[in-house]
Amino acid sequence: MKRWLLAGLFLALSALAQGALKVGVVVSTTGPAASLGIPERNTMLLIQDILDRTGGVAGRKVQFVILDDASDTTQAVRNTRRLVEEGVVAIIGTTTTPASLGMIPVVAEARVPTISLAASKDIIHPVDAQRFWVFKTPQTEELMARAIAADMVARGVKTVGYIGFNDAYGEGWARFFEAEARAKGLQVVVSERYARTDTSVTGQVLRILARRPDAVLIGASGTPAVLPQRTLRERGYGGLIYQTHGVANPDFLRVGGKDVEGTLLPAGPILVAEQLPAGFPSKRVALDYIQRYEAKHGIGSYSTFGAHAWDAWLILRPALERALRRADPDRDLAAFRAALRDEIEATRGLVATHGVFTFSREDHLGLRFEDSAVMVQVEDGRWKLVRTFR
Amino acid sequence: MRYLWFALLLLPLLLAPFPFYLTLLNFFALSALVALSLYVLTGLGGMTSFAQAAFMGMGAYATALLTVKGGFSPWLGLLLGLALSFLLALVLGGLTVRLKGHFLPLSTIAWQVALYILAGNLVGLTGGHTGLTDLPPLLLLGLPLDNTFRYAFLGLFLLVLSVLALQNLRESRLGRALLALRGDALAAASFGVDPAGLRLKAFLLAGVMAGLAGFLYAHFLRFVNPTPFSLEASIKYLVMAVAGGVGAIPGVLLGAALFTGLEDWLKDLLPLFLGRQGNYETIGYGLILAAILILAPRGLWPLLARYLPQKEGRLPQEAPLPLKSPSGARGEVVLEAQGLRKAFGGLLAVSGVSFTLRRGEILALIGPNGAGKTTVFNLITGAILPDGGRVFLFGREITGLPPYRIHPLGLGRTFQHPHLFPELSVLENVALGTYARTRAGFPQVLLGLHRKEEGRALALAYQALKRVGLESLALEKAERLPAGQQRLLEIARVLASGAEVLLLDEPGAGLRAGEKRELAHLLRSLSREGYTILIVDHDMDLIMGLADRVVVMNYGEKIAEGTPMEVQRNPLVRAAYLGEVA
Amino acid sequence: MDATILGFLLLDALQNGVIYGLMAVGLVLVFAVTRVILVPIGELLMFAPLSLVWLHSGKLPGTLALALALGLLWALLARGRGGLWPLLGGLGLFLLFLLALKAPLLAYPASVLLVVYLGVATYRVFFQPMREATVLAYLIMAVGLHVAYQGLGLVFFGPEQYRPAPLLSGEVVVGLSWQGVLVLLFAGAAVLGLYLFFRLSLYGKALLAAAQNRLGARLSGIRPEEAGMVAFAIASLLAGISGLLLAPLINAAYFMGFMLGLKGFVAAILGGLVSYPVALLGALLVGLFESLTSFYASAYKEALVFLLLVPALFLQSLRARAVEE
Repeated sequence: MKRWLLAGLFLALSALAQGALKVGVVVSTTGPAASLGIPERNTMLLIQDILDRTGGVAGRKVQFVILDDASDTTQAVRNTRRLVEEGVVAIIGTTTTPASLGMIPVVAEARVPTISLAASKDIIHPVDAQRFWVFKTPQTEELMARAIAADMVARGVKTVGYIGFNDAYGEGWARFFEAEARAKGLQVVVSERYARTDTSVTGQVLRILARRPDAVLIGASGTPAVLPQRTLRERGYGGLIYQTHGVANPDFLRVGGKDVEGTLLPAGPILVAEQLPAGFPSKRVALDYIQRYEAKHGIGSYSTFGAHAWDAWLILRPALERALRRADPDRDLAAFRAALRDEIEATRGLVATHGVFTFSREDHLGLRFEDSAVMVQVEDGRWKLVRTFR
Repeated sequence: MRYLWFALLLLPLLLAPFPFYLTLLNFFALSALVALSLYVLTGLGGMTSFAQAAFMGMGAYATALLTVKGGFSPWLGLLLGLALSFLLALVLGGLTVRLKGHFLPLSTIAWQVALYILAGNLVGLTGGHTGLTDLPPLLLLGLPLDNTFRYAFLGLFLLVLSVLALQNLRESRLGRALLALRGDALAAASFGVDPAGLRLKAFLLAGVMAGLAGFLYAHFLRFVNPTPFSLEASIKYLVMAVAGGVGAIPGVLLGAALFTGLEDWLKDLLPLFLGRQGNYETIGYGLILAAILILAPRGLWPLLARYLPQKEGRLPQEAPLPLKSPSGARGEVVLEAQGLRKAFGGLLAVSGVSFTLRRGEILALIGPNGAGKTTVFNLITGAILPDGGRVFLFGREITGLPPYRIHPLGLGRTFQHPHLFPELSVLENVALGTYARTRAGFPQVLLGLHRKEEGRALALAYQALKRVGLESLALEKAERLPAGQQRLLEIARVLASGAEVLLLDEPGAGLRAGEKRELAHLLRSLSREGYTILIVDHDMDLIMGLADRVVVMNYGEKIAEGTPMEVQRNPLVRAAYLGEVA
Repeated sequence: MDATILGFLLLDALQNGVIYGLMAVGLVLVFAVTRVILVPIGELLMFAPLSLVWLHSGKLPGTLALALALGLLWALLARGRGGLWPLLGGLGLFLLFLLALKAPLLAYPASVLLVVYLGVATYRVFFQPMREATVLAYLIMAVGLHVAYQGLGLVFFGPEQYRPAPLLSGEVVVGLSWQGVLVLLFAGAAVLGLYLFFRLSLYGKALLAAAQNRLGARLSGIRPEEAGMVAFAIASLLAGISGLLLAPLINAAYFMGFMLGLKGFVAAILGGLVSYPVALLGALLVGLFESLTSFYASAYKEALVFLLLVPALFLQSLRARAVEE
């Protein structure tokens, strides 16, 4: 019953608001990916605040419809279909790879341009008839793995041990890192798995120690990534420890404490925005985002994941402006969505927090390795830039 | 009337202007299929399973692998999916249906978690956690089912077929047998039901249904990964079934509809009340579930069903299966117990008890409390295994056979506490007795080919009711009957089974004087017809007036045998009952 | 695999097993007395250290609001004087928390008492009204509460882990810290205490009797409701103290409790859901198995641990004839 009332209300309001542009957002604010999804949602709400104050895009109000998918594929698909029915012009989301993959057939069938916030290359590659409609902002695992492998080689690492989550994130990392490692002549001598909810990884760590790799890569995200690192150090592992960009949030440092001193990780440039050299493309944009986010949520609260959502909007906004000049969503929504998709794909040299985006028909990731990955090390409980790849 | 379910197929037409609701409709159809599988397993069979999502996964991955990696037709994928679900259920069920009480569900948890992890880790095969993408759409006669509107028809159609098939199941010998099993396996076995075998079959059916749902899911989403087939998903389906009312088909469908819609309604409502910053849907979900269970512990449907018109029962019209009267010479030995012996730990409950039972006679087995009468009873009927001695029925050895093998040979028993289905009609209760005389298996029942036999079985049950004088109450709910009539119902049930040797365990228990007289009258008339009756009871007046012969036990041994008069005068008997008396 | 590694794995097994054992004991207790499988025990375990962390950083945790809300419902459901206890308890809890904001040491007992109050209120508000429900209905209710509490955990404490300071720092030997020893001692004491309580004390025996036969229990003067509350109280107490002791070792987060509870459940099943010492042994077995599989086949570790149930259940089933009542 209530839904009819709401639908009626929405219709009435939208009639009044003369074509408020609706943008759908699907993120995982609950479930295992919550630590990534919550900052993403916060960022979208931040943008909504800004838009409400500044009057929207090209004089039209913009309304974000934000739905949680609980890190679940089926939920993501449902949310997507619902957003499509509500007449969104584009969709931003979702946080996790499997859920994003599940959304692809839906957005392709509905012909709605989508900007994913998930990691895997499979989301946008190859750009076939379905992925025609899908773009993404986060660096792929492949790109970040390249950074790690390059750094390892530069430090003289020959053998690597891997321990990662027993889920899509850990599995994706294992796959892409092993490929990059092979390409660079590194040998992955042991590959272990653990669950996010595990309270001990002694067995896995002992196994790694037995092989004595020069470096260990931990394929995890959020605070559960601390556990293997702590265990490695406690058991006397003296080699290099690398983490993935999934730990680039302040909670990792808080929980990790002394145990994570010296960790090396690849990150989007925004993580160490103040430390970037003067000519680095993303510096200004990143600092702007950080300042806005911290103004609302407190010093040190920003996360690189929220920044992916910010980048999605940085891409979407000008595309919306250009599309509005070509087509009218109120008159022909399908044509507008197609035009919007074209305009997104036409993005060239857009400076964002994580790099510079240039899309093309074949490339819906749009990032260059040199601009979108830096190596960071944990020093005195803080992130310290140690290498760029420019 | 039952074909009214096809009205569900109108829903896609009604909802066509709202594509999102079409999506929900599809998810409803899928969830409802799984919920129906739980109806079979839990509602009818009393077994709780936390692995239905794993069976779904089997169906989904089978078709995904076949279509994506092999390029075969999805319909082949369906066949493979169903076959694999069947095999999986066979393996799991074979190992676990023997487990009683809470052990079966736990075993299903184990399988569910294990299969989920395998699906996630066999990356080469299943695509791991990232899953398999780009499944082809189903093609029906050249028409691709690649949008929600068309797919809804398929899903709902299969759902309706399943509902009809399960209604057939419920109104059949198998449905009654499953219901009997959940109350008490021994009572069911005493009517020829093989508990482990039937449970396994129910498990197989439930597994295959869930596999079908998985197949549909895969070609709806056209993407498969392990998450929808996890323990959380299994729990979700169980919640749907139980909250809606797992004991009735409309109940599980209601649960599926409610909880499919709930997730989205919560997304709409909660932000209105609580603001958009939080994630309150799961909290709302949990609290609503808790509220339902407190207010309606048996689910929502029973609450609603009270307000709906009750279905009128019909008396059976078909020609009954014959209510066989016993044939054969009176006085011929029908049952013989030789040297029965049973010890429980250190206690020798039965030691060297022998007696014979002759056709047409009423033999009473009496003795003070703890004499071992019930144990002897259980030894003869196969409920427990003797440590020594033998039992013969119609000259054939039955020592050590389980009750469900003894019963078809012509032996029937009643229980101290009548094991009836209070919710069902008297007629249906008696119909359980016809289980061993009817043949229809799962395939015939599900397809509805058993109707004729079922009608005849019900007619037979009616005849049996006539024999005991209860036919006017045939369509009443069994729980309405007073104790005396419940006892008569039990006897009708045993008569319907065609058994000619009747073992009655404390038939007089809980009866008033007048009811006992009525019972005695019936038993005497049955014995005149040629039925052979063995009674265990405490009521001396009843026994002495009824029995042709009496066997007296004390401390596990037979201490006296003879006519009631002889036994009454036996000093050993008096000593046993009254203590040392001059 | 050499002796050193084996030694480390055994030590690991012991520490993990003890965690599962503590869960198992609480689960067996609650099941034995009330037929409820306390699925939310994992959340109760985590609420204690998370509330502690909040208090130590000068904030009142949301769990306090939850507990007080349930206490209020409890008071409304109870009639007359029965409503006084939850109200007084709630008030006392609230005051204790205010004091704990000033005196960090008080945060420890405050967090434990919070969990105990929450546990008892949970029973009183959600389970007690379900009279004569089936075990399955209780289970579904427990699942619903687990979902709700976990969701509340996310709202109250956020998605990340927290690591309170250990009570005892330093290591006894590599792989075993003093805090770990404390956990072991606590587990041993808890099992011993429960064993004695149920075997030797009249009240303990009465509690068990109440589970077997409600009517009989009432005729003997034992109120089943009271038995339920006591069982939940003890289980919550165990969960709360365990949570506080364990959090420095394993990190506490809103989502960590469920898997611990589930594995504890596996351990309880291995103990046949009846005996505490056997449940603890079962837990050690689970811990051992998990340690070994995490060394040899870490990707399949969870699957193997759960599959451990299958032969155990199979063995138990062989002992029972298929047809018996």
